Amino acid sequence: MTDLTVHFAGITMKNPVMSASGTFGSGVEYASVFDVSRMGALVTKGLTKEPTAGNKPPRICETPAGLLNAVGLQNPGVEVFIRELLPGMLEFGVPVIANIAGRTKDDFVFMAERFSNTGVAGLELNISCPNVKTGGMALGTVPDVAAGVVKAVVQGTDLPVIVKLTPNVTDIRELAAAVADAGADALSLINTLVGMVIDVDERKPVLDNCVGGLSGPAIRPVGVRAVWEVSQAVDLPVIGMGGIANGTDALEYIMAGASAVAVGSAFFHDPLAAVKIIDQIDEYCTEQGVDKLQDLVGAAWKGNNGRR
Amino acid sequence: MNKNNGVENVKSPGEFTCRVSEQLSLAPDYYLLSLEAPELARAASPGEFAMLRCGEGYDNFLRRPMSIHQVDRSKGQVDILYQVRGKGTNWLSKRASGDLLPLLGPLGHGYTCSGPAGKGLLIGAGVGVAPLLFLASELAARQWKLVILMGARSKAGILRPDAYMEYGEVKTATEDGSVGMQGTILDLAANELENSTFDMIFSCGSLPVLRGVQELSRQKGIPAELSLDERMACGVGACVGCVCQGADGSYLKVCQDGPVFSAGEVILND
Ligand SMILES: Cc1cc2nc3c(=O)[nH]c(=O)nc-3n(C[C@H](O)[C@H](O)[C@H](O)COP(=O)(O)OP(=O)(O)OC[C@H]3O[C@@H](n4cnc5c(N)ncnc54)[C@H](O)[C@@H]3O)c2cc1C
Ligand SMILES: Cc1cc2nc3c(=O)[nH]c(=O)nc-3n(C[C@H](O)[C@H](O)[C@H](O)COP(=O)(O)O)c2cc1C
Ligand code: FES
Repeated sequence: MTDLTVHFAGITMKNPVMSASGTFGSGVEYASVFDVSRMGALVTKGLTKEPTAGNKPPRICETPAGLLNAVGLQNPGVEVFIRELLPGMLEFGVPVIANIAGRTKDDFVFMAERFSNTGVAGLELNISCPNVKTGGMALGTVPDVAAGVVKAVVQGTDLPVIVKLTPNVTDIRELAAAVADAGADALSLINTLVGMVIDVDERKPVLDNCVGGLSGPAIRPVGVRAVWEVSQAVDLPVIGMGGIANGTDALEYIMAGASAVAVGSAFFHDPLAAVKIIDQIDEYCTEQGVDKLQDLVGAAWKGNNGRR
Repeated sequence: MNKNNGVENVKSPGEFTCRVSEQLSLAPDYYLLSLEAPELARAASPGEFAMLRCGEGYDNFLRRPMSIHQVDRSKGQVDILYQVRGKGTNWLSKRASGDLLPLLGPLGHGYTCSGPAGKGLLIGAGVGVAPLLFLASELAARQWKLVILMGARSKAGILRPDAYMEYGEVKTATEDGSVGMQGTILDLAANELENSTFDMIFSCGSLPVLRGVQELSRQKGIPAELSLDERMACGVGACVGCVCQGADGSYLKVCQDGPVFSAGEVILND
């Protein structure tokens, strides 16, 4: 039996596989499909202070090995979430991480404070959403601005703060270094890549929002590269995501330097993807004689490739 | 497992790998697919749907929503009636008996069948008739009297009229007049509502048809239920990708709050 546990930023997970924000609802949607308590952790949909209506449909467009989405952070607002959805999510008995979004620094600070003593294990700051006009990615592309948000949040909360970064920048390492200096406890990478699809019969974009965030297996190599670069440049645990659809994909991220991984779009292709990934990671470790999964973190760049 | 952690309005779909028992071509581009799916046959209600894998590897990455056309609970069989529209449905049309097909279901909120029996008008435009056979069989079993309207561009698009005749009186309209009344399904529906009265209208079809039905329902004061179409990713209410506009302006999830809505519940925009 391989030890799959992950400890990072004060959060303990029994295995490295979490759900990616916005793709897994509050978990209850999948409760009859598979045993959700097998997940390492659950991440909520992006939440905002006030209810957010989201973008006009169509919001989804399939692309080669993935999809574009422009949901626009539709959510019932933090109060309704905490009252009506969080209890069900906590019942799975695995750490729940709140993904929070905002238009301003103060929004983020408010949200972070609101989540203290609610039972969540940590916060994931979504300063990387490509689908909202203000806040979101606008706060997460300029290192100084991103650092300002992170610093303010960290000061106001005891919860571990994970910062989710966008790959839609020239050098993601610069951004990672800035939020690390500002006191982030961990990093999530990557959020979606901005993209577009045009319907040639209609001669207009498929998505009402015109542009959307690209996710799924198509973006995996971009995510792996981001994790590889950031995990070597910054001394913080990294959660890797972007196109993970099987155990090998997850191991790629781990070997690139991720301590944990998140599964998102793969649920749409195969609702059982996450449990299969957990089993496949376990099988790989057993076959390769790996005692502790964490020995593989960064194996692709560490001396001896993580072999003892 | 049937756990919902105290949250209401959560269904209990399952993931199944189903064997294709048969696939028939009904007309060019229209297919009737029969699947061995005992759990789905048992659990499904009219108007509900399944998300079908429609490609190899990561081709056609998202699953395709397909209504449950009919179930045979004793045989453990589920039928899907579909039209080839693009890559995914084209792939689906190439499946043959014995092939395995992963699907997630049953999903969504279907038609209301539980009320007191009455007289029902079923309106199916094109392949929109798909969910109405299961509905007709269920309503007929509950002593409803049914008139079933089927509309299409031409005769080839009037799908399985004989199957529907088992459960009520079938009337058809084709735009080219090749069978039934010449005109649109909405012309046919307007005629029918001139001459008879109904307790309930049940409908499925394209947006313009549903908008017309919504209008007829309002004019005649007859409650109607409409099955909506929207692009979907998860099918279970988790991604908020599939919304339509609710009457109060907020967005409703077509896969979870629908696909069947009462006519007054939704605003049908372009
Ligand atoms: C609840 C529900 C039930 C349905 N039931 C049936 C049925 O019983 N029979 C039938 O023939 N069709 C049905 N449809 C429509 C069917 O899902 C689409 O025709 C199908 O997804 C097209 O896939 P494609 O790969 O052939 O087309 P493509 O255009 O190649 O598909 C590209 C993407 O767009 C999506 N898409 C394209 N058209 C539609 C559409 N009209 N609705 C939703 N998504 C679409 C696809 O799912 C896919 O993700 C239903 C749709 C919904 C929402
Ligand atoms: C439909 C959808 C909704 C998403 N919503 C959010 C969100 O609310 N907050 C967030 O930080 N990321 C959101 N994401 C991004 C994912 O969490 C993830 O970073 C990205 O999709 C890459 O992973 P994947 O390829 O495994 O999906 C969303 C992605 C999708 C596909
Ligand atoms: S398709 Fe995901 S919420 Fe409806």
